[in-house]
Amino acid sequence: MKRNGTPSTNGKGVQLTMTLDGEKVAFTRGETVYEVAERHQKEIPTLCYDPRLEPFGGCRLCIVELEGARNPVASCTMKAEPGMRVRTRTAALEVQRRILMEMVASENRDTDVDPMHGYASQEMAELLDRYDARTGRFEGALSGESRPDDDNPFIKRDYENCISCYRCVRVCAEQEGDYAISVMNRGFHTQITTEFGGLLKDSACTFCGQCIQTCPTGALGDLKALANKDVPGETETTRTICPYCGVGCTVDVMTRGEKIVGVLPAMDGPANEGALCVKGQFAFDFVGHPDRLATPFIREEKSGQLRPASWDEALDFAAGKLRKVVKDHGRRAIYGIASGRAPHEAAYMMQRFIRAGLGTNHIDNCSRA
Amino acid sequence: MAEPGNDTLVEHWKDEPAPLLPLLHAFHERDGYLSEEALRAVSRGLRIPIADLFGTVTFYHHFSRDAAGLDRPRVCNGPVCSMRGAEVLLASLRAAGHDPMTMPCPGRCDEPVPVIHRGTVLTGRTAGTLVSGPSPLPPVPPDGVEECVFAGIRAPGRPTLAGYRSQGGYEALEQAVTGMTPAEVVDVIDASGLAGRGGAGFPTGRKWRAVADAPGEPKTIVCNADEGEPGCFKDRVLMDHDPHGTIEGMALAAYATGAVRGFIYLRYEYPETCDILEGAIAAAAAAGLLGDGILGTDFRFDLMVRRGAGAYICGEETSLLNSLEGGHPFPRNRPPFPVTHGYENLPTVVNNVETLASAPPILVHGAEWYRGLGRADHAGTKVISLSGDIARPGNYEVPIGLPLRELLHGWAGGPPGGRAVQAVTMAGLSGGFLAGADLDVTLDEPSIRSKGSFLGAGGIMVFDDSRDMIRVTRESMEFFAEESCGKCFPCRIGTQRLVERLEGQGPRAVDAWVDEVVDLNEVMKKTSACGLGQAAPLLTESLIRYFPDRVRAHVEKG
Repeated sequence: MKRNGTPSTNGKGVQLTMTLDGEKVAFTRGETVYEVAERHQKEIPTLCYDPRLEPFGGCRLCIVELEGARNPVASCTMKAEPGMRVRTRTAALEVQRRILMEMVASENRDTDVDPMHGYASQEMAELLDRYDARTGRFEGALSGESRPDDDNPFIKRDYENCISCYRCVRVCAEQEGDYAISVMNRGFHTQITTEFGGLLKDSACTFCGQCIQTCPTGALGDLKALANKDVPGETETTRTICPYCGVGCTVDVMTRGEKIVGVLPAMDGPANEGALCVKGQFAFDFVGHPDRLATPFIREEKSGQLRPASWDEALDFAAGKLRKVVKDHGRRAIYGIASGRAPHEAAYMMQRFIRAGLGTNHIDNCSRA
Repeated sequence: MAEPGNDTLVEHWKDEPAPLLPLLHAFHERDGYLSEEALRAVSRGLRIPIADLFGTVTFYHHFSRDAAGLDRPRVCNGPVCSMRGAEVLLASLRAAGHDPMTMPCPGRCDEPVPVIHRGTVLTGRTAGTLVSGPSPLPPVPPDGVEECVFAGIRAPGRPTLAGYRSQGGYEALEQAVTGMTPAEVVDVIDASGLAGRGGAGFPTGRKWRAVADAPGEPKTIVCNADEGEPGCFKDRVLMDHDPHGTIEGMALAAYATGAVRGFIYLRYEYPETCDILEGAIAAAAAAGLLGDGILGTDFRFDLMVRRGAGAYICGEETSLLNSLEGGHPFPRNRPPFPVTHGYENLPTVVNNVETLASAPPILVHGAEWYRGLGRADHAGTKVISLSGDIARPGNYEVPIGLPLRELLHGWAGGPPGGRAVQAVTMAGLSGGFLAGADLDVTLDEPSIRSKGSFLGAGGIMVFDDSRDMIRVTRESMEFFAEESCGKCFPCRIGTQRLVERLEGQGPRAVDAWVDEVVDLNEVMKKTSACGLGQAAPLLTESLIRYFPDRVRAHVEKG
């Protein structure tokens, strides 16, 4: 991921500068014109851009006028150079962007999708609004062929809403390193595919869900979240850390009322930068699952059967047994393992209990594997 | 002899330079298609993710993924061949029990209609009359017109090393490596005014100097022989009948820039040319003109042929480099340019065949001689591939600045049957049409660009006054839609929408139709990522400019 640092100098102590919409601005060597413009709140439109990925230059919406260039240039792929004079929003550029948006709208079945599709799923719709581009011009064939036959439980593959920005393909290769999907055919017939056009489960896909979250149109959708799209209430998000392993991915858990309806990766999570794995992304059903225990149980010594018990009774029972183990075999005979599905607070209390309460460092967490 | 096994093929190629395309061709030819098993073997052997490899294979028109797909005859249905009965030929092949498929222009417009079947180019009008044979030699120019690249091409024996040397071949290379510094070679090319003859027209001397000056080794010379522009077949004649001219030009470029390896990226559609080039390279290497210690000096240059597999965009130099490297052949973002970040991200010259073949005569006769071949202030010559409604189609090496009408009528006999020229294309199809008073241009970039077109690679198709220009435009736009790589939005969507509008879809009122088409044209020209998308709309732009009444009739016919 690129970060914008302090503006750099030319090696002789002179700051590197360029002109952006008539204003002289400093930049860091290696920054693209788009990145410089973003720092100055120019709000250049894009559809194929994801700051975590290598610049691609496909959608052409980020075109800017560069003095001395015959045609507008894509700012996402153009490195800033000293003395460049760039204009980011001229009447001509805005007309071109609007036509491009009208063209993009013309190839899709839907231009509006439920936000539960994924993190970036509203990008196209927002730009269509911004450019007032829902005009119905350039009507013609729709591109992309959906894959309703792919019965995986996580990723909806609705390519009739695909605009061939290839963010999914690139995030799969560049961020996840799976190379599970690619581009087949050419031109208007390009299609996102797996090896030999098969199902995701038969490919190198690990169902990390990053393709969903970077898709700007909802052509890819989060099936787990979409299953909850009709749960009543406003969606609230809670920033937390995924408990499943030691990486510490930041997530925004979506809830409606008491129900967890989905998980969004935090693009600014320092450990994950928007990445999650199949567990962090999709495995939250257990929280509200009807099979979960709602009361403590005690196993009868004689019969071996479980019977419901009150908390006080259960805790007294456990304390008595633990004391007996320590008495008979010493404190190091105790080994605690916290569950990755327990809340962080419970995990913390568990290690305090083992360390301070029982006086041993034999404490671990199941997600360390 | 038993067919080589998967492992044998992979082992043979995996440590060779640019191994993907030759390895895929080896499987394709062995099995008649690219099976899943073959692709998995290639994926393992070359360590390319299988999904990427699968996607990339589907990019190429001529790689078949269906069993026995290679057996299907491929028939050109480009704008010229369509006028010459491509449909009749397709029907005739079907009647003869074949399962033909169409293909974009394979560069045989001087002998319509071409068919590629199992690695052989055939020409004819019906299944029973298809014949194979050498591509036609260029017609002899009018008296007193001096040629550069064609000067020796008609001599018997010219394709052989002995024949080439008997006419002074490889003297330029000898002169350079034994008596000139690399910088002096660049200076001569620079002073000659030679510019890229593949279409972009970048000054050759400047390109060579940039590569010579660029840090990073090894450096590479790539000969762009992916002559995919419809209506262009000049590079084919140069390679078929004068292969050593191109090879010597590449060796000169290598000496001038410090490159030690070279590739000829040859389009799939020229199978016989591949054999000719490989034979010529072997002969030159055996004679000490390629390889280590060239002509007794310490200059070393290794040259290989790599065949494409049917993708127009691979004639775009950065797509070509991606293809050569085994990647998905999308164009790269520029800058950086290939002169600093080319093959394997190292300094690379990418030159067209005609450009490279011009270098040896320029070195022998001098920069002033070459400059003097042009008319008026224009330097040098340009090969024009002329086809369509013209009495004597073929390749003509014209002085740059020659009036178009002089070529059409004086040199090539005008349209047959006493018809008039209605329109011509420029730059193959990429320059769109010229018609009416604009046919008074001279064949040089300033003149043609002043009419909103460009000379480009030098393909000119002639359409007489009996032709339906809507149909011609539609068939031409279908080519660009078919060949659009799919990377950038304006080209991917725009070529499709223009085809639909030329097919009779879109608004039914002429003003609205024109409004949409003009918007598509402008956005494609201004915002497309490469030359394909920038050039394709010149067809519709010039259609509207020259044939507004035809456009009106087309839109309003309902």
